Amino acid sequence: MTRQRIPNLGGARAVILHRPHDVVDALARQLSAIGLVPEPCWPDLPASVVAADFLFFDADMGFDAQFPWAAGAAPLPTIMLIGSEAPGRIEWALSREANAQLLKPVGSAGVYSSLLIARQTFERRMQQTAEIETLRERVAERQTIVRAVAVLGGDGGEEAGFDRLRHLAMDWRVTMEEAAARVMAASGEPPRTGPAKRRAG
Amino acid sequence: MRRRLRVGLLYSLSGTYALLSQGCRAGALAAIEAVNGDASLPIEIEAVERDPAGNIDRYAPLAEELLRGERVDHIVGCITSWSRKEVIPALEKTGGTLWYAAPYEGFEANDHVVYMHACPNQHILPLMRYAIPRFGVRAFLVGSNYIWGWETNRIARDLVHDAGGSVLGERHLALGDEDVGRIVEEIRQTRPSFVLNNFVGATSYAFLKAYAELGECDPWFASANCPVLSCNLTEAELGAIGRAGEGHIAAGPFFDTRPTGAGARRSSFMMAAESAIRVLAQTVVQGGGAGGALDLARGPFDTPFGRIAFDLQTRHAHLPVHIARIEDGRFTIVDGSCGLVAPDPYLSRYDPHTAFARTLRVVS
Repeated sequence: MTRQRIPNLGGARAVILHRPHDVVDALARQLSAIGLVPEPCWPDLPASVVAADFLFFDADMGFDAQFPWAAGAAPLPTIMLIGSEAPGRIEWALSREANAQLLKPVGSAGVYSSLLIARQTFERRMQQTAEIETLRERVAERQTIVRAVAVLGGDGGEEAGFDRLRHLAMDWRVTMEEAAARVMAASGEPPRTGPAKRRAG
Repeated sequence: MRRRLRVGLLYSLSGTYALLSQGCRAGALAAIEAVNGDASLPIEIEAVERDPAGNIDRYAPLAEELLRGERVDHIVGCITSWSRKEVIPALEKTGGTLWYAAPYEGFEANDHVVYMHACPNQHILPLMRYAIPRFGVRAFLVGSNYIWGWETNRIARDLVHDAGGSVLGERHLALGDEDVGRIVEEIRQTRPSFVLNNFVGATSYAFLKAYAELGECDPWFASANCPVLSCNLTEAELGAIGRAGEGHIAAGPFFDTRPTGAGARRSSFMMAAESAIRVLAQTVVQGGGAGGALDLARGPFDTPFGRIAFDLQTRHAHLPVHIARIEDGRFTIVDGSCGLVAPDPYLSRYDPHTAFARTLRVVS
């Protein structure tokens, strides 16, 4: 049976980007009860936020310039604090791609689950982003494979070329895409696709 | 003229966990009698009782009735976490406080609850730290099919893993279900080092009886070799268990170690409810008797657990921790803390690398 272990949150840092308010006090109290260290701030995020474990931000009064990263590219799990459910504010908060949400006023319930959901959603998103990046690279290299197969196949045709490329990839212990790139580099033909990142082989 | 403080008691006097409720109720009533008998105190307490009779759907309406109808600010009550969670919305609406006198699975810190009994770092953690080095790392987990069983077994699973052990099985039965045969057979087949029992009430009694019968046929399952461990087994239930409990082990903040014949057995449930009334009375007296105001920072408070303080962020009590074995129909303490253990309901101070340092094996 596989199971994701509930993480221990003791000592984790949680930055709260919200103007001084009862909501901040209630949230900080509950975070402390769970064992985290709350760090309220407004309107500027401290540079240390990049080393924090969670960021709570205000959906009601927040604005893009507060964040030193592009929308959807936060380096840590984020949780939006929603007060007014005005569509414009929800739209803005959605554009920041928060990993979880918590409704104001903040009570005894909701904080713990928002932390767990945010962390899990964040980690899954990071993982998916990395996977998509790898797949993109592979798609970009397809053209290189086609050309390498043609070079290697010679008179034997496509099947022989593909077979040789597969063997080269196995011998070199690299992906087919990487092997094709090496073949093309050795053949002296300029690469036709963009300079895709090479993975360490 | 003494001021009268009305306090709600919300305990099921029938149903599968009635023995625990009756223990808590007796403790609360004894403390109320003591307060009322002390003429030097400026307050008198009047108990206002409601009995949900073990029906989970009765808790919320009866709590509401106490808080709104009877206008009490404080309720001492609830045994199961399920019922506590049912009552919380009514407390939040009315600003009332629940004094919760049962061990529970942690991961809660509600502003409207005072947690008077043990949370995970005061029961399951010390219990595992005691048992794993002595009996082994192969665990079989059983529990009632609701939040107490699920969560306590989830924590146990992590602890056993951190100790380098394995969980051979985890089985749950509905509250009140006494059909334990299949689970006992699975335990017989897997031959664990110990069984963690998070059953509640009648299921627990049936299980211990069937397990004792197994131990008579197969020495592996004698309590000295493969004991049943519990975080919620107390004197309140020893009568219902009888000889089947012999040699098994429990963790708790209190065990009645008085010699036989020293009076009716007291349990930690009783002591926790008694402590709740005592702390409540002390805060009200110290606060000049204003309304139902509750200031736990006024502690430490004198209680049957000793002079205890509260963690103000989580409203959980600092408590003694004891490990005890059932011998001749009563508990004998075999290990435990010298002082009080601070509560850590979210296990945020738990360190998997040091918790079982003595039992960890070298992995090459």
